[in-house]
Amino acid sequence: MSSRARTLIGFGIVAILLAFVPNLVEALDAPTFYLTFLFSIFFWASQSSSWNILTGYSGYFSFGQGAWFGIGVYTTGVLAGKEGWSFLATLPVAGLVAGAFGLFIGFVVFRVRRLSGEIFALTTLAVAFVLASVARISSFIDGGIGIFMTGTELPEFLGDSRTAIYRLILLIALLTVLSSYLIYESRVGWGLFSIRDDEQVANGLGVPTFRYKMIALGTNAFFAGLMGAVWSLRIGFITVEEVFNLRIPLFVILMSILGGMRHWMGPVVGAVIIFTLTDRLNSAGLQDFNQVLIGGLLILLVLSVREGIYLRMRKRWLASAVIFFGSMIVLTLFELTTSLVWTFSFALLLTMPMLILPDSLWAKLIRRSPSEDTPEDPSEIEVAAT
Amino acid sequence: MTLLQCSGISKRFGGIRALDGVALGLEEGEILGLVGPNGSGKSTLINVLSGFYPANEGAVVFDGTDVLAINPNQIAGLGIARTFQIPRPFSTMTVRENVAVSYMFGRREHGLDEARHAAGEWISFTGLGDAMDADVSELTLHQLKLLELARALATEPTLLLLDEVLAGLNPTEIEESIGMIRRIHERGISLVIVEHVLRVVTSLSDRIVVLDQGHVIASGEPDEVMSDPAVVAAYLGGRKPDA
Repeated sequence: MSSRARTLIGFGIVAILLAFVPNLVEALDAPTFYLTFLFSIFFWASQSSSWNILTGYSGYFSFGQGAWFGIGVYTTGVLAGKEGWSFLATLPVAGLVAGAFGLFIGFVVFRVRRLSGEIFALTTLAVAFVLASVARISSFIDGGIGIFMTGTELPEFLGDSRTAIYRLILLIALLTVLSSYLIYESRVGWGLFSIRDDEQVANGLGVPTFRYKMIALGTNAFFAGLMGAVWSLRIGFITVEEVFNLRIPLFVILMSILGGMRHWMGPVVGAVIIFTLTDRLNSAGLQDFNQVLIGGLLILLVLSVREGIYLRMRKRWLASAVIFFGSMIVLTLFELTTSLVWTFSFALLLTMPMLILPDSLWAKLIRRSPSEDTPEDPSEIEVAAT
Repeated sequence: MTLLQCSGISKRFGGIRALDGVALGLEEGEILGLVGPNGSGKSTLINVLSGFYPANEGAVVFDGTDVLAINPNQIAGLGIARTFQIPRPFSTMTVRENVAVSYMFGRREHGLDEARHAAGEWISFTGLGDAMDADVSELTLHQLKLLELARALATEPTLLLLDEVLAGLNPTEIEESIGMIRRIHERGISLVIVEHVLRVVTSLSDRIVVLDQGHVIASGEPDEVMSDPAVVAAYLGGRKPDA
């Protein structure tokens, strides 16, 4: 079986398992915050994966994630919250509006002005600021008073409101990560990687650079907006300050860099780690230390794991699996934590030190352990010789 | 049949005329040597022909298509490939991936899996078989130059522009590379060779064009061109006899 078929089957299994988590939570009468915890991870995994399709694959560093996300939030906010559309009908519209706007910006920066490097990054940041002002001024969009989403109803077949949000976010996250994977394993993906490495050479070898950058930017904006549309329900009361802040762009950058921008799984892993840690710090009442700890961790990880946590984990998969699942089992058996989420967080944290070890040190550790069972002892060899 | 026809090409950088009304033609199957002192415009001409620099004036017709009106990626699609004097590999990819990308795009479109297999053929042809799955950071300069060749060949060109593929190589490597260029030519690919080592160009080329300060000062068979007084003067730094 090809590796592609294996990945897609694995993807399907994970999708089905995650889709039935709400039923499991209900059957076990477990606390519903498990669902909130999981769909928040899906949200961030989707946001950072979509960002990575543009920035990780093509190398064009974008601060525009908040802009695409915000367009999605406000499209659904206006249509469902103010104009009375059915919520589900606004979702594709929000994705398409964000995607179309992304393509418009892409046309301007890639064709009219040919921006790259820091100028590109700053331009994408400016787009979010401009959009925030427009939303604040325009009374059709927001007008500075915000939009209540509380009256918005979800269709019954999706279950109660928390389950419905969970399933919608899961679906969009799966679609985002699937797209990210399919692009990674395609001509478009390799075209983008070559643009990242040397755009001029790529162009000269026949890579249609403009078209591929547009595909990457359009896909990024589409999924960011689509997820924003669903997230508008989670926000409940939409305000410009809540939507167009720097939280989204900075977190997706952090998550992708930490997880690894060179692989489609990197942003997913980064989202799981960073969201879990920030969420647990908040719930432990340490939100004041949150940024210090996360900042410190990021510096440590970025300096010691250049290729990203995901690729490091794959190289040391056995040790990672043993430490992670070992910690999970021990923490559960001895009932050391109050919930599964805490167990998971501690297991993640305990796996980190092994992953941070530099390659040279790791190689030494690995070489030492198997040599203990083989007769490398000099006295034994001498005995054998005589 | 004429494969490439350039006329009146001018390229200015600020006040400097790097190319000034250059005209030349290339027959199908020909090896054309492009020589001239430093700064004579050889590399600029390669950059114009491959679409890297837009020309200020002139026309370049390749196989019936106006090259100056289209993008570099469309020029690659017509069948023109080039190498770089200072190798510019895709640094995060292995040797195989570098060549596979170029085969995937290039003159015809190919799928990812097909490209991974086909890349091996070009890598073996250029003698990089042992470094197939190496990272490019592990390669020597000679190997990087061979990778430039493999990558250009994988686009399946009908015209290959070689920009100083021999610069920086030792005598053994130069001999190997000359053999390689002959084998490339035997595959039916027309060549434009920019080279400093005159001995090599004169022995390889069917015809030679000499550039000096952006002008074509001589063109013809290697022997007659290299004995042309204007060419000798340009190389020895003297004034041009007629100027």
